[in-house]
Amino acid sequence: MSTNSLELEAPVTASTKPAARNARLDGHPLMPYLLVLPATLYLVVFQIFPLMQELWLSFTSTSLLSSGQSDWVGLANYRDLIGDPDFRKAILITLVYTVVCVVAAISLGLLSALLLDAPFRGRGFARAAVTIPWAAPPVAVALVAIWIFNAQYGVFGHVLRFFGLESGALNWLDSMNYALPAVLMITIWQIFPFASVVILAALQGVPHEQREAAIIDGADRLNVFKAVVWPTIQPSVMLLALFSTIWSLRRFDLIWLLTQGGPVGATNTLVIDVYRRAFVNQQLGQGAAVGMVGVAIALVVTVIYFKYTARMAKAEQR
Amino acid sequence: MNMSSTRHTLRLAAVLALLGAAAFPIYWMFVTSLTPSGNLFAARPQLLPSFSELHVYKDIFAAKPVGRWLLNSAIVAVGTTLASISLAVFPAYALSRFRFRGKGAIGFGLFTTQMLPEAMLVVPLYALFAKVALLNSLGGLILANTAFTVPVVVWILKGAIDGVPLEIEEAARVDGCTRLGIVMGVVLPLIAPTLAAASVIAFFHGWNEYVFAQTFITEDRLHTASVGLAGFVGELSTPIHSVMAVGFLYTLPAVAFYLMVQKHVVAGMTAGGVKG
Repeated sequence: MSTNSLELEAPVTASTKPAARNARLDGHPLMPYLLVLPATLYLVVFQIFPLMQELWLSFTSTSLLSSGQSDWVGLANYRDLIGDPDFRKAILITLVYTVVCVVAAISLGLLSALLLDAPFRGRGFARAAVTIPWAAPPVAVALVAIWIFNAQYGVFGHVLRFFGLESGALNWLDSMNYALPAVLMITIWQIFPFASVVILAALQGVPHEQREAAIIDGADRLNVFKAVVWPTIQPSVMLLALFSTIWSLRRFDLIWLLTQGGPVGATNTLVIDVYRRAFVNQQLGQGAAVGMVGVAIALVVTVIYFKYTARMAKAEQR
Repeated sequence: MNMSSTRHTLRLAAVLALLGAAAFPIYWMFVTSLTPSGNLFAARPQLLPSFSELHVYKDIFAAKPVGRWLLNSAIVAVGTTLASISLAVFPAYALSRFRFRGKGAIGFGLFTTQMLPEAMLVVPLYALFAKVALLNSLGGLILANTAFTVPVVVWILKGAIDGVPLEIEEAARVDGCTRLGIVMGVVLPLIAPTLAAASVIAFFHGWNEYVFAQTFITEDRLHTASVGLAGFVGELSTPIHSVMAVGFLYTLPAVAFYLMVQKHVVAGMTAGGVKG
């Protein structure tokens, strides 16, 4: 695992690797450790230590009201979760939320990147403007979204009613059926520009001659994309998928302010569930257990990603 | 010829639709803030701002401590940026230039911290901060936020340092520069655009952060804009155009700042191999 993690940088640094190898020869052998020490200590204190504490909490029955006393209960919290329908629903909601976010953000990102890749007047402006959602603070986005989705006066309902759609009479964020789609729409709006920027940057590496040769050969657009464009941008898209997955698994403020996980758990992702159990139900131990499950899922996704990219790299060498 | 001009028109239409969708919620925040109260709940929404309503932006400063909120957010954002960059420069340099035992583990450790949600660590961090009197302090928020930005910033800077030719460093060494002198005087200026990109990402994190600011701060005068604004959710006494005015004031600096350095952000992120 630890060596595989360097795959992350492989595409960019391949050319500079030999130089870096020589560099180790000079300087004191302890120099690199000295350089990484402050940040490592910092992360141990503010990330690793709290994580360990949270892990420990997950084996206790600590409550927010009596955090002084906490009894060791072993795996009881985890066992309770297995039989808890709310928790099962939270897992399902998390998976749906994450998969839709990742697929939609990357598809929209790819589409917009292809649009903004071709030359046209005002392209620079368009490339900058499309990233606005990504720069907007989630709390402000949540607030304006709540207003836009307001059942009576929100502009979203106005538009739906204009097209004669009955769902325009509902407040989507308050509806069992429409809350998750609404939260997804808002999230995707906020995150797709990141995918767009990354894919647009990757598109700059597509070899022009090959692309033109393929067009001259009479290949249609889809085939050019498959044969020339996709292989170049594929590593970036994979990395994007990994990061979007991890970020979607841990997204909190936007969802919390939009729906607090409701109505009746319709948008209750694992991270919302962690917060809800800890601060609303005041069950710190239970909340911690849910959090650990979330981290485990993120870890599994990451391992799959690295295994997959490692296999891809091997296949290419052959 | 005709075919390609149709295609061009279609493309422009698609681009316009895309930009419209991207900008609409922010535009709507602005329009709502400048809609007279009487029109807010009209049967047909007002689509253009009424500039005679600009006094709303003056009134909210009197009604709510908006100036204080924005100032606190700015302090947290700038503090997070400075702390993140100073903590990240040296490990980024080490990960780029040296091969050493445990390097892979550190790289993976950095990546792993990306998986930890703030909402989960808020409980143990609260307990920790309570012990060392860091609750109700903007400094405490900066410390907590920096823990979440350092890994990303390290990755981005490392990618940029990878791109600095070693010969340049060697030349500086021949001239008698120390290692510290080389990093500060030679490497950092060369990766300035990426530093700008990493700074924007750290700044955004501090400016936007909500969970810690909501949980660690109970004193009104220390509330950040994210918490102040979130306080309007479900609150009915503040008119919606005032709420949107605060939201717009909170959004505008972030978007403007981003647009100013946007080119560097894209370049920096690409250099970092997109560590996000």
